[in-house]
Amino acid sequence: MVPLLYFQLLGAALFGIGLYGALARRSAVLIILSIELMLNAVNINLIAAASYLNGIGRFAAFDGQIIAIFVITVAAAEVGLAFAIILRMYRNRGTINVDEINILKW
Amino acid sequence: METGLTTNLHLLTPEFALTALAFLVFTVDLFLPERSKEWLAGLAAASLLAVIAVALLMRPDQSAELYGGLMVVDGFGLFFKIFFCAIGLGIIALSVEYGRDRLQHRGEFYGLLLFSILGMNLLAMSRELLTAYISLELLSFSLYVLVAYGLREARSNEAGIKYIIIGVLSSAIMLYGLSNIYAALGTTYFTEIAADLAAPGDASPVLWVGIALLVVGLGFKLSAVPFHMWAPDAYEGAPLPVTAYLAIGSKAAAFALTLRLFAEAIVPAAARWDEWQLVIAVLAAITMLAGNLVALAQRNLKRLMAYSSIGHVGYALAGIAVLGSDFALAAKGVIFYLVVYAVTNLVVFAGITAYYNREGKDNIADLAGMADRQPFVAAAIAIGLFSLAGLPIFAGFTAKFYLFAAVADGGMLWLAGVAIFTSLVSLYYYLQVMRQMYIERPAHAEHNVAAHQEHAEHDNIHQHAAHDEPDPPIPPLQRPSILLTATMGIGLLVVVWLGIYPAPLLTLIETASAAILPLG
Amino acid sequence: MWFEQIVFWALAAVAIGGALGVVLVRDLFRAALLLATVFVAVGGFYVMMNAEFLAVVQILIYVGAIAVLFIFGIMLTRDVQRGNAPNRLQIPAGVISALLLAAMVFTAVTTDWTTLAGAGRENQAQIAQTQAVGIPDATELTRAGLSAEEVESVAGSGLADLLIGDFVLPFEAVSLLLLAAAIGGLALARGRGR
Repeated sequence: MVPLLYFQLLGAALFGIGLYGALARRSAVLIILSIELMLNAVNINLIAAASYLNGIGRFAAFDGQIIAIFVITVAAAEVGLAFAIILRMYRNRGTINVDEINILKW
Repeated sequence: METGLTTNLHLLTPEFALTALAFLVFTVDLFLPERSKEWLAGLAAASLLAVIAVALLMRPDQSAELYGGLMVVDGFGLFFKIFFCAIGLGIIALSVEYGRDRLQHRGEFYGLLLFSILGMNLLAMSRELLTAYISLELLSFSLYVLVAYGLREARSNEAGIKYIIIGVLSSAIMLYGLSNIYAALGTTYFTEIAADLAAPGDASPVLWVGIALLVVGLGFKLSAVPFHMWAPDAYEGAPLPVTAYLAIGSKAAAFALTLRLFAEAIVPAAARWDEWQLVIAVLAAITMLAGNLVALAQRNLKRLMAYSSIGHVGYALAGIAVLGSDFALAAKGVIFYLVVYAVTNLVVFAGITAYYNREGKDNIADLAGMADRQPFVAAAIAIGLFSLAGLPIFAGFTAKFYLFAAVADGGMLWLAGVAIFTSLVSLYYYLQVMRQMYIERPAHAEHNVAAHQEHAEHDNIHQHAAHDEPDPPIPPLQRPSILLTATMGIGLLVVVWLGIYPAPLLTLIETASAAILPLG
Repeated sequence: MWFEQIVFWALAAVAIGGALGVVLVRDLFRAALLLATVFVAVGGFYVMMNAEFLAVVQILIYVGAIAVLFIFGIMLTRDVQRGNAPNRLQIPAGVISALLLAAMVFTAVTTDWTTLAGAGRENQAQIAQTQAVGIPDATELTRAGLSAEEVESVAGSGLADLLIGDFVLPFEAVSLLLLAAAIGGLALARGRGR
């Protein structure tokens, strides 16, 4: 069997890559896409922990998997809503690049 | 566990009622013609009043767990429930006139407003991370839509995109924190987290990363510096009532979660891990300083209010930082501050909305000479800003007094010092707004006067009819709508009343905060 | 054992490589397809972690719905031509992510996973000793001191029980959240109707 640590490291790597993408990309679609990577990292972490914690604690057997299901559901809704807003902006402005997002603006 | 699922459901009557009434708003909207959509505002307001009435019937001194401890109905939740519904009423009052001229699909607007209040209510009651997260998302989703709701304004679109991207990013960070906490402890219940933190032995590094990421995520939702960058853009772009809602409602909700999370999960272990107090204190200090200093440079009124609200988040965070020393005092200070901040900001935003509805401008320079045109609105804004700055006889002073006293009492004298200093700074930029309203002349005034005199010389006979001219020297009074006037009037009464005699509200708040008092 | 290791490393290579591709490739369309690959690989991890139901959900929702939605989004906004250009924040973004990644790797490595999830709880010692992922079979659980009922609940349909049992409230809240997203998305996308 594979040690839990490996899965934690894998989750951390996906999360870091996703965070980089979310901060460094220009297209709003790509930013949302990178955030999905981060959410997948969350799910790996949760399910690995659930599997590892199996049979310990209160409902530990499936808690993590339940949380992961919720995360997936919310993620799907987020993508849908984000696209509604993005498409509207595209219709009004003809671009979805968020150059104007000046994250470090004071 | 089975009994917990079925026996206590009546305790959630306010939430069930709110859900049903939100559906009612969505449904009625389908059958109403465009010109009578105002009724939906009335329906939504009536729903909120009904929910407040139901909540008032419940006992604040009892607490009952629901759904196996995912959620608790107690005095704290009840207090915030009523508070959130009252905020919702205020926002609806702000939206009616604005929405008639500037918003489409108003049925969805009011329905989503009710949904977001439902999310806030659930948030104030949840004592488990997943439930809190879902409630927070219910609130955020409605807000994402509402921020992007300004149909004709590209600004609103852009604000919507920025808001949803940062919102989703912060949820992802918060969730990663949640997953780490779960990996380390096998639980997401606040009380069990506290038990594990307090247990002997070193807490694992993974747990600390989890809690840190959770706090970062909360920082985004609270718009604490350095996680505030979305706030000014979202505030500026959003339709005005939604800006008010962001400033008042979403802040209050995020603080309700923060208070319960810290009270139930972190403070009980404070004796062993008191470093967290310093972390929150530094965060609070940076937030106060950055929010108030950057506000000095703002030209747009909504952006100014955004930075001012960031500053106020800093004050409330200072109260959170001292929760560990005298919990009752600090919690009372924070909750009272939130209520006063909400009422005062509602007055200010009602004033700004009244002005914007008439003139369609929201830059500070556009306010010039406003006191002549809309004297009552100008006075309301001025009193609201004085209260935000913390001048005596207004509620802002009392609130800051209690909060800063609690901070100083908790052994963070330096933090109280920073808070007082930044309050003085904030007085400066609030006074700038007042200078525009009361002292500055509008840029085109001289031209108008000249034009009018010329006109009068030409036509002496009709001189007495000068007030009918399109550009008279003394502009005609512009009356705000009755609803906005009433909102400002009631808000001002509350501001003065709380400034002079806060005791009854403080008693209520003590009951509320007693419900989350950490044991031991 | 040996086989699982190979599968893990193969999937990890696909997932990490795909993820790097998503954030580095210039062609947006390829980025979306790579993302779908990452989703499939992650689904494979779920199977390894004995979360078969989640693996199915992952394929259905992430690959079947979200990835397709992304591709639609990219095509509808004709963003393909513009490409996946980085913004000005590339270096600070890299630094922040690298620091966070380093912190997380450091904490994950220094955490003693054998004592975790354990402080103050019973029964975990034997299971935790393996320090490995995967649902232990009934004999292992019994050896770890769980009662017959508990063993059954672990092995049985615990997921469904939890979802519409103890977690029914978030479940209901999520349904409202989906409704809010649908109504909100419609209200925004419908534009200036009527």
